[in-house]
Amino acid sequence: MFYLITGGSGSGKSEYAEEVICKLWEQENSGKLFYIATMVPEGAETGAKIERHRQMRDGKGFQTLECYTDLAGAAAKITEDNPESSVLLECISNLAANEMYREEGAGPAAAEKIMTGIKVLQKGCLHVVVVTNEVCSEGPANTAEMRHYKEVLGRLNGRMGETADRMIEVVYGIPVEVKG
Amino acid sequence: MKMIIGGAFQGKMAYAKASYPDILWIDGRKCSFAALETCAGVYHFQEYIRRMLKEGKEAQLLALVERLPQVNAGIVIISEEVGYGLVPVDSFERKFREQAGRICTRLAACCDRVDRVICGIGTVIKAEACNTLAKEGNNAHED
Repeated sequence: MFYLITGGSGSGKSEYAEEVICKLWEQENSGKLFYIATMVPEGAETGAKIERHRQMRDGKGFQTLECYTDLAGAAAKITEDNPESSVLLECISNLAANEMYREEGAGPAAAEKIMTGIKVLQKGCLHVVVVTNEVCSEGPANTAEMRHYKEVLGRLNGRMGETADRMIEVVYGIPVEVKG
Repeated sequence: MKMIIGGAFQGKMAYAKASYPDILWIDGRKCSFAALETCAGVYHFQEYIRRMLKEGKEAQLLALVERLPQVNAGIVIISEEVGYGLVPVDSFERKFREQAGRICTRLAACCDRVDRVICGIGTVIKAEACNTLAKEGNNAHED
């Protein structure tokens, strides 16, 4: 199953996504459970966010893999040695920013690079849950760069949505089914 | 407890008045702490959150949110959805939108009904018995 989970900030999408992947994994009763973390630990605010997520995941059986860029590489590492894995990838908005703006990132090829990684996961895993973000519906007039980022993420969401078995928007903790 | 949420200028208030015609509404932009505990309905709730954070009353705000489902279980809360744009550059704005999300998520867990209004049209996204909070304790809002 390929789940795409989206929502606004502070909407509880991570908790919901964890619930979904854990349930899928438990039902399978085989393979490993992975968490692909994409947030680069820079600064106190980000550090606190990462810590909060770590605590949320604690004790649930996740093996965490840090992946700031090159999702396909991380995905291959998982799928080659661990067939039948269940994977939670969080989140596309960080991954896109990393690929677009970090020195080691793919730059203009960010979207393609991420989609390649998604496909590796889809092909080699039993279950994949991807968390993304709604960033295109709000905010003041944007700079060209902000517009560009919104476009990349918006289009990526669209491409993932196309192949998703189920797509859910989490609204204040309430799962609203968009596709499935 | 009930919530009506949606983006700005989507007709939340009109929808609320049509859905709950007999109740008095207070304004989240200026209402007091105590008023929230007794009022029938509040609108611009997100502005209440903003005000409390601006005044440095985050701890009281979070305490109120924890208490509200018990002390005013019948309240109808209208709140503008925020958090659907890029992460704000300003650190207060980042904090506001994160807390607005977490607080409304916490409250929505205690609601027996949540309506979301888009283009004036409301969709019921939650309609169930009010027991989620009591059952799950406080693990939904660890921050």
